[in-house]
Amino acid sequence: MAVQPVNVELCNGCGICVRICPLDVFRMDREAKKAVTRYPEDCMLCEFCVMDCPENAITVTPDKSSKLIVSWG
Amino acid sequence: MPSEKAITTDVLIIGGGMAGCFAAIKARERGVEVTLVDKGYVGKSGQTPFAGSFAVFHPEWGHKLPEWMEQVNTVGEYVNNREWTEIGFLDTYDRYQDLVSWGVEFHKIDRPPQPGRPRLGPCEALHTEWRRHAEILRKQALKAGARIIDRVMIVDLIKQDGRVTGAGGFPVGADDLLVVRAKATVMCAGAGGFKAAGWPIHELTADGDAMSYRAGAEITGKEFADPHSTSAEFPAAFNHIMRGGRPMFGLLINSEGNPVRSRGTLFLDLEFEAHAGRAPITQKTADGQVTRIGGAASGMSVHKAEGVWPAGTDCSTSIPGLYAAGDALGNMQSGSVYATIGLGLSGAAVTGARAGWGAAAYALQADLPAGDGDALGGLREAVYAPLKRTGGFSPRWVTQVLQNTMVPYYVMYIKHGDRLQAALTIVEFIGGHLVPKMYATDPHELRLAHETKNMVLNAEMRLRASLMRTESRGCHYREDFPRRDDKNWLAWVLLREERDRMVAFKRPIPEAWWPDQSKSYEERYPYRLPGEYIAS
Repeated sequence: MAVQPVNVELCNGCGICVRICPLDVFRMDREAKKAVTRYPEDCMLCEFCVMDCPENAITVTPDKSSKLIVSWG
Repeated sequence: MPSEKAITTDVLIIGGGMAGCFAAIKARERGVEVTLVDKGYVGKSGQTPFAGSFAVFHPEWGHKLPEWMEQVNTVGEYVNNREWTEIGFLDTYDRYQDLVSWGVEFHKIDRPPQPGRPRLGPCEALHTEWRRHAEILRKQALKAGARIIDRVMIVDLIKQDGRVTGAGGFPVGADDLLVVRAKATVMCAGAGGFKAAGWPIHELTADGDAMSYRAGAEITGKEFADPHSTSAEFPAAFNHIMRGGRPMFGLLINSEGNPVRSRGTLFLDLEFEAHAGRAPITQKTADGQVTRIGGAASGMSVHKAEGVWPAGTDCSTSIPGLYAAGDALGNMQSGSVYATIGLGLSGAAVTGARAGWGAAAYALQADLPAGDGDALGGLREAVYAPLKRTGGFSPRWVTQVLQNTMVPYYVMYIKHGDRLQAALTIVEFIGGHLVPKMYATDPHELRLAHETKNMVLNAEMRLRASLMRTESRGCHYREDFPRRDDKNWLAWVLLREERDRMVAFKRPIPEAWWPDQSKSYEERYPYRLPGEYIAS
């Protein structure tokens, strides 16, 4: 759904996606020196990450589903 | 204990879209120190990167001011603030020239007329490449010497002795407190939806309105709902929809196979059709067809409607030290409908520049008050409360229950007093019981918690303003009051906090701006709303 896990084979650890995402979806894995798609449920599909990633390591699909509504959570 | 960092500046700008960048650049021109803070990244922030149309009025291009004014007055159904409508045209050429000088490229597009819709009038816009102009604005703000702080969410304004003296928030990647002490503050974190699928405005959570309201500002325009639509197949995929041959310009066909009846300059056709039981509604595109649904920007108003009520044409507000611009300024430039293309972006540039100059002038004659009294104690508490709680309700779940209450079309699009009141009862419960029990486990969730709190406040504002306006006008449709009521409602609805309660009140529109009351109702309002009868 929406933003996919960052492709670690391609990611060069530049951190652009972490910096520019309007919804704060990415984080850096400091040990692996790679970006991680940490909060995909908050993606709004703007595709800034796809456009600005210099290594084409990020994919956003047009579908997005939300969690089931439950009594409390 | 989280660390604290305090900085001082002459002018603090909150929000880095078109308005915020213009405010920063123009304030710097007056020689003051400027700090621009955004919870995302300036250059990718707000609606600006997604907006491609910029209205430019220029008499040498054959434009006539009375004709442009008439378009907004009539399409906006006479609740536009004509002083601002005029400023919003007269200033555009200078702002356009600014953008051109910074490297923004404009071009003309001849859009085909929308089937079944009248041409709105003579107003026209130039077009820019999406996203590119926002990146140029960032570069220009930095070049002008503004300090940019990205990824810091401002939570609340600091108020001392009745005056706004800065704001405080936290970095979304860490739980430190950032306090910015400022002689003047410009609110540019405008507009806000409920993170509904379909429009890329999920970071717009009415933060500007909420912060300003909590600081005592007057908020307006919350009843005029933004009518953008999306596709049922991929409701969240804005880019996907826009790449599919811009389907929003094709003929709409209802479930009975008939064209959807256009209501002229009223833009709730999809909602009227769905309410009558004639959905799904399809639209032909270059490569097939899509099913269209409304409410893509649910929770947002028509551009330039919602926001802080301006006290003057320098974008000052009723609170000393607080300025507002862009969609954070409720200058009612466009009235009850988005009355001409490109007015959102150009209006943000125009008000951003004016707010930058206004705030700079204020900062040049003001001193920062010594000490911070007890202002920071309350701020610290407000910022960290969700992180301190070990349990309660998650912000994502509270957002979900808010969406379930507010997003269905029969609340904010096809309105009825009974349903508005029912939704208000639920939203008051969400605000009173769930919001104070939201918890966050990390700074990302802390941002979500503050966003949710602001969205719930935005929902209450929309419901109260919609209940107050007991008529229909433009993008505010009440099926229990399906006519425009000039006798009672040539007025704006304003909201402000009084003794911890939200109070709605009317502000009359000057009589000189009323439609000609000697004309018949049908002449004043040529387009009929569903259920509207004509007295013969």
